[in-house]
This record gives sequence, structure tokens and C-alpha cells, in this order.
Amino acid sequence: MAVLEVNDLKTHFFTREGVVQAVDGISFSLEKGKTLGIVGESGCGKSVTALSIMGLIPKPPARIVGGEVLFDGKDLTKLSEGEMQHIRGNEVAMIFQDPMTSLNPTLKIGTQITETILAHRDVSKQEARKRAVDLLKEVGIPRAAERLDDYPHRFSGGMRQRVMIAIALSCGPRLLIADEPTTALDVTIQAQILDLLDALRQEHDMAMILITHDMGVVAETADDVMIMYAGQIVEQASGYELFDNPEHPYTEALLGALPQLEGDEREIREGRLIAIPGRPPDLVDPPEACRFAARCPYADYDDTCSTVEPQLREVRPGHWVRTAHPASERSGERETVNA
Amino acid sequence: MATFIIRRIIWTIPVVLLVIFMTFVMMKQIGGNPFRKTERNVPPAIQANLERKFNLDKPWYQQYAYYVKDVATFDLGPSMSQRTRTVNDIIKDGFPKSLKLGILAFLWAVVLGIPLGVLAALKPNSIFDYFAMFFSTIGFALPSFFVATLLIYYVALKSGLVPTNGWPQGFFQFDNRIILPSFALGLFPMAYFARLVRGSMLETMQQDYVRTARAKGLPHKRVIGLHVLRNSLIPAVTATAPLLGLIITGTFIIEIIFSIPGIGRYFINSVFNRDFSVVMGITVLTSLIIIIANLFVDIMYGFLDPRTRDVR
Amino acid sequence: MAVDRREAAIPVAAPPAPTTEHAAGAAIRQSSLWQDAWRRFLQNKGAVVSAIIFIIMCLYCLLIPGFWKIPGIWTSLKDYDPNAVDFTQSYAGFSLDHPFSTDKFGRDLFARVAQGGQISIAIGFAATFMILVIGILYGSISGFVGGKLDNGMMRFLDALYGLPYLPFAIITTQILSPSGSVSVWTMVVALTIASWFTAARVVRGQVITLKENDYVRAAKAVGARWYRVLARHILPNTLGILVIAIFLELPGVVLGEAFLSFIGLGINPPTASWGSIAQDGREAFRLHPEVLFIPCLAIATLVLCANFIADGLRDALDPRTRETG
Repeated sequence: MAVLEVNDLKTHFFTREGVVQAVDGISFSLEKGKTLGIVGESGCGKSVTALSIMGLIPKPPARIVGGEVLFDGKDLTKLSEGEMQHIRGNEVAMIFQDPMTSLNPTLKIGTQITETILAHRDVSKQEARKRAVDLLKEVGIPRAAERLDDYPHRFSGGMRQRVMIAIALSCGPRLLIADEPTTALDVTIQAQILDLLDALRQEHDMAMILITHDMGVVAETADDVMIMYAGQIVEQASGYELFDNPEHPYTEALLGALPQLEGDEREIREGRLIAIPGRPPDLVDPPEACRFAARCPYADYDDTCSTVEPQLREVRPGHWVRTAHPASERSGERETVNA
Repeated sequence: MATFIIRRIIWTIPVVLLVIFMTFVMMKQIGGNPFRKTERNVPPAIQANLERKFNLDKPWYQQYAYYVKDVATFDLGPSMSQRTRTVNDIIKDGFPKSLKLGILAFLWAVVLGIPLGVLAALKPNSIFDYFAMFFSTIGFALPSFFVATLLIYYVALKSGLVPTNGWPQGFFQFDNRIILPSFALGLFPMAYFARLVRGSMLETMQQDYVRTARAKGLPHKRVIGLHVLRNSLIPAVTATAPLLGLIITGTFIIEIIFSIPGIGRYFINSVFNRDFSVVMGITVLTSLIIIIANLFVDIMYGFLDPRTRDVR
Repeated sequence: MAVDRREAAIPVAAPPAPTTEHAAGAAIRQSSLWQDAWRRFLQNKGAVVSAIIFIIMCLYCLLIPGFWKIPGIWTSLKDYDPNAVDFTQSYAGFSLDHPFSTDKFGRDLFARVAQGGQISIAIGFAATFMILVIGILYGSISGFVGGKLDNGMMRFLDALYGLPYLPFAIITTQILSPSGSVSVWTMVVALTIASWFTAARVVRGQVITLKENDYVRAAKAVGARWYRVLARHILPNTLGILVIAIFLELPGVVLGEAFLSFIGLGINPPTASWGSIAQDGREAFRLHPEVLFIPCLAIATLVLCANFIADGLRDALDPRTRETG
């Protein structure tokens, strides 16, 4: 049963320099209790997608120009601001990338948790406080009751992110959107936070969207993965399927860009990190054809890549790709990646 | 926190000493003995008395030491030009008036300036914003004596609404004479606050934690009223210290223009009359007030921004 | 008037990374940075307009008072002599001959305000310059040496903030000119002494930030002497901040001079400065307000332009402060 269904979402930014088509036709659905990983590089539109779902895009320059976001059958894009306020923090919660700047430095964290509870539930302040303590314990903050009255600067980065998670969970949301929750943290803390998120999701039977630019992050936890590029979805499949059989050249490159920790010792030492050359296209005037063509090692002069925009098609059951050169259809030797 | 306050208070002492020293030098430089130089006929016996009283017959460093001791015991000596009054009298008379002027000016600045900035930030680039910023730019650039004279001319003279000068006698007496001077004095701080708060709020609204607050589904009023406003007002509090200093010294000019018998006007007149004890006394007093005001603002800042408390 | 907004206004920004090729000890090549900043400045319409007005104003003050000496340029040469007294022309009102009207003594105000501008702006720049020099010396020594000396110097500076600006300036002018008439240089010195604190603080802050930068460490590691490090590495990078500081200090000083002259404790007539002209205008203000208005408008224009230019410079030199779309 789908908690969230996004159909052909389009979000554009109307700026002085032109209209930036940040999100250009995204569709996906998310079932209860499952995790969807959205992967892509900076500027591909993954954060804008999340903010569009939440209705948090900055309204003057940005606007949702098309599509729908169905949460429990209700189209969030059509709701008023007041109605959205009831949903945000309550049924759909979001945590952000940098816990240091995402918490108000002049308010105690206890206040920042209880204000969420008090905004959505009709309980007393004491009850809200008690719940806040329970939440802090649940996210693994020691001496929770004492730390409730501390200010954010007294916590380490990982702890702060835990506080953010506690805030997000405070009203028992059915969907949690995590926008690059571990990017600003140390690698060892990253693993802890991801484990915590996964455990909480299972326990509360929440659906989760995990946004990241790091394939390694989704490898462990995502049931389904969606690769975004230049405002579009370029590949969509279950986690295992995507990692075992990547189809899109971009996905392959992303996987190739991971440092190898296993395998031949000499390969590890001497193997180069494969960087993807070039930059994403300018979204004010996106190419009419395949947006990845300029950086794609398989695009050729006389194929359709630079003339026809590839559509998302199902190359295998449940595995969608938007490219003219999916791996399973390539014949002959692979060309080397241009350095 | 306590050590911080004590340390600040201790450091006021050298400042006061410096102030006394400077006025002392001025006195020596200009007059030496003002009594012989005035045109007024001072009978020799009284003159000798006065000289002894002022220790003018002793070497300068002793005079300085005497004066420091006097200041420490709050005895600022007699006025050199108004023979029947002591400096303390003059201050007792004039200070409450100047204080009231300053407080009212500050109130204008806070009550009009800050909300103006807040509202302008809430509707950026609107007509309201445009006019608010235009008004505050003018208030910022025009010299206060100009504004004061303008007000006297157009509001007091032409329309006859309010008298052009004077000031109520009692501290808690209020009549319409207080309006123009306090407004003229408060205009610059008002404009300054408006611009500052507007800029600060616009910047704060871009912050990540405001986005978080909205993502939590908090009602708009709370997001703005608590999260945005509290953090935006911190720079305004920081600016209060120098603004208070400006208001204090601004009273000097306003009092002259509006003929208000406060310590500012006494100070200026005393400079002209070479009445050094008054000059010294008022300067020391102003200095103390500024220091106390700065201290107060620092403490307020500590309350508002919890990050600074741990640093100290 | 010295206001601490300048501290907040001036960004203690990290300087740009130096261009790739430089030997330790060589000056940083900054050309591309300045060109970038110049281009950004030009994009700021308010700042550009202000700069133009400012330049026009300076030209006006410089050129007009001498115009009457040039034969053949004006038909009635005498009218533009700022000191020519002609009681028949007293308070003549606006006309082509007297675009700014005349004062009590029949002196043409168009020329007189220009003359006054020379003095007011000159005092402004002179005092600003001296403030910066003292500020740089104090701030860079304090910041660079650090440690106890820095601590002590900063405490001293903190204490000086307790000095009330106006009384202090007044007392200084009285000390320096016991005879009672204040000369231009006396004003400059008095205003400088009353307002150098902020500049010193800002410079110190900047020096401390820069000191920690890697290229300074690299220079030291190669054995460059402290004065070389200071002069070639740190100070050039504070240049931007200093230019901004000039335009932020200038209005304060000009206003200070105006205040003092207006109440009679500064430049006094017949010497023309904007403040002294305003003082003149005060008496007949009710009947002939223009004598007061015009110098005040001149002051206000200067203050406004300087502030806009400073804002423009700040945006140009530190693009991060720009609000993003």
C-alpha cells in the first residue's frame, strides 16, 4: 500500500537569468515501511524533490508547475499552507544535512523538541517534556533528562543529528525524508546514524526517503534506489538489482567512482578513482536530447543520443532506465572512460 | 559572569582618570587661574578663598590628586562661573532632564525603529518596504541638528502645534514639549535600528534552522516570532551600546537647539565660559554613564546568545 | 560620529587564495581579484550612482571657488567669490546669479558652500587617513604580536570606548587651541583622537585572521622576517577592508566637524566649512532657511553617498555576503 505516490512532478525556479527546470517529471511510489534511496550529484534536483514534497520550496522564485504528490490519496501540492502545516512534522517529517546549522542555537533542544509536539498534539507541557526525554533515549543520547535543557552547541555533530532525528520522530510520522543526513558527519558516525535510522524505521514502520550523493550510503539500507541526473530519473530499481546489474552509464560511473576496499591488493593501491569528466548541463536550457550525452562514454555521433530524449523504459521487470545505451543492450567491447 | 563584570568595572577607573587628566590639562592650558582673567570683579578676599578652595596655589600634580580624590567622593567642586552653585547642584538639576530626553529618544528608536524593520523584512521589496527604507535612509543621513531645526521650523512655528523650546520641570512631568526634541534625537537610532533589523531578519530567514522550524510544521507566527525574531534582534542589541553613546552625546546638541536646561547645554555653555569644574564634572559623568551602558548591553547580550556564556 | 556598526559592517573575511605562482616572500598577485571586485562593484547601481555623485561633489568643491579668478569665464566674476561681501545682496534668494542664494553678508552661497566643502571634505579625508594610520599601527602590532601585548592593548582599547565622543573632541580642541579659534588641523587631530578605536579593532581582527593562514606560515617557515611578512603578506590583504573603512569613517568625521562647528566650538565664520555656514544660517533660519538647509543637504548627500559606496565595496569584495536568489 503506497504511502507516497509522486506523479510527474515538475518544479521550476523562476529567476532573473531564466527558468531553472530543477525537477522535470519525477515519478515514484513508496510503500509503507520501505526505504527509497535517491542518489545523484549536487544540483541534480534530489533536494528540490524532497522540498517539493514537503511544500518547503522558496515560493517567490520556485513553484511546482506540474504533477502531483499523493500522500494517503491527498495531493499535497494542492493543499493550503495551513493544511500543510498540519502535515509537516506530524505525518511527514524531514531531517537535513547539516545538524549544526539546522538547529536554532539560541533555544534549548528540549524546547525544539517539545514545540513540535505541542504544535501537533493536544498535550500538556509536562507530557511533552516526558515524551521528549523518551525520544532522546530512543535515539541514543545518554543522560537524556539532563541534556534536555542544553543548547545545541553543547552537542557533538553526531549527537546533534540524533536530536534532529528525535525531533522528526516526535509525532510519529509515517514518512521520514532524510536529506543527506550523514554528509556533514565523520565516516564512523555516519554508520551509526544510518543504523539508527534503519532501526527506527523498522520499529515505527515508517517509510523513509534517503537522499544522498554517496552510493555507499544506500547500499546497505535502501529497498529501492532511484538515480537522478539533471532533474530527471535516469535509473530506478530495487537496491540489489541496481547494484548487481547497473544499466545506465551514469550509474556505472557512480559505482566505479567508489574506492575499492576489497580485491586485488595492487588494484587497491594503484587503481585510480574514476571521476566522471564534465559537468551537469545547465538546467535553464536543458538539452532537448539525452542530458547525460555530453559526458557519456557510449554516446556516439550517429546515434539518437543527441537528438531524441530517451524515455524511461523497463528493461527488466521492476528495473527502469532512461538511456539509449543500457548495459544489457550493449554489444562489443566497452569503450574506456575518457580521462 | 561575575568576574567579567568586576573586571569591566575595574577597568573604568583608568578611563575616569584619563578623562580627569584631559580636562585638567585643558584647564591648565587655557586659563591657569580663571579668576584673575575674568572681567567680573572678584574681591581679593573671596578670590584668595576660591584659590585655596581650588588648590590653585599648589603644584599641578597635587591639584590633580586633590581633584581625583574629590571625584571619588562625589564632590565635584563649585562652579567657577556660577558662584552660588556647586557642580553637583548643576548636575542634580540638569541630569534628570537629559536622562529623560535620552530615554525618550531611545524609546522612539525602539518603538518605531524595530517594528519598522521587522515589517519591512516581512514584506521585502514591497511598497511598504521601499518607503520604510527610504525614510530610514533619510533619518540616517541628515545631521540631527538639521532635523531639529527643520522640526522647529515646520512643526512648531508654522503649525503652532507645539512650543519651540523648553522642557517640563519634573522628571515625571510630561507635556508636549518633549515630543520634538526626543524625536529629533531618536531619529538616527531609529533609522539605524530599522535598517539593521530588516537586514538581520532577512538574513536570519535564510538560515537552516528556520527551514527546520517550518519543516516541523510550526505555525508561521511562531517561526517568525520566536525563531527568526530572537536571533535577528541580537545584532540590534549589540548596536545598542554605541547608539546609547551617540544618544548621550547627541543630547548636547539637541539641548542647545531646543533650549533645554540639561547637562548638555550646561556643558557647552561652560566651555564657552571657561567653567572648568563643570566641564570636568559633566565629562566624568557622561563617561561613567557610557561605561555603565556598555556593561549593561554586554550583560544583555550574554543572556540573549547562550553561546557566549560558555566562552567567558 | 563614531558608531560601532562599522565593526559589524566590515567583513572579517578570509582573503582569497593566492595565485599559484609565488615565491615565499614575494607579494601576492592580486590582479584578477581586483578586476573581479571592480566588475562586481560596477554592477551595483546604487554604489555607482553614489560614486558619481561623490566625485561630482568633490569636483564642485575643488573647482568652483577658484572660478571667479579665471578671466572671461563669467560675466559677473565677483558673484562667485565666496568671500566677497556685498550687503546689497544680502539674502538675495535663488537666481541665476546666485544659484544657492546668498547669506547675511551677501556672500554667494554657491561658491561659499563649495569653499566650505573643501574644508569639510579635507578635514574628513585627513582625519580618516590619520585614523586609519593609527588604527593600522595599533591594530597590526597588537594582532601580529599577539599574546600578552595584544591582551593589554585590547583592554586599553576597551577602556577607551568609555570616553564620550563629543565632550572628548571638544576638550581636545580646547586644549589645542587655547586662544579660542579652532584651526583646521586642530579639528583633524581632535576628531582623529576621538574616533580611532574602531579602526584599530577592525585591523587587529583582520590581522589575527590572516596570521593563521597557511601562506603566512609558509613565509615564516622559509625564514621571512616579521616585518616582511607583515608588509608583503598581511597588509596587502587588508587593503580591501581599509578602503571600505575609509568610506565608513568619512561620514562620521564630517558629521563630527559639522556638529562642533554648528554649536560654535569648531570652525568659526568667516572661515567657511559646512558646519560654520550652518551656524551662520541658524540665526535667520526662520526667514531665510536656505542658508542652513544647503550645507546640511550637502552633508547629508556626502553621508549617503559614502555609505552606499561602502556597501557597494563590501559586496564587491566579499561576494558571500550577497543574498542568494
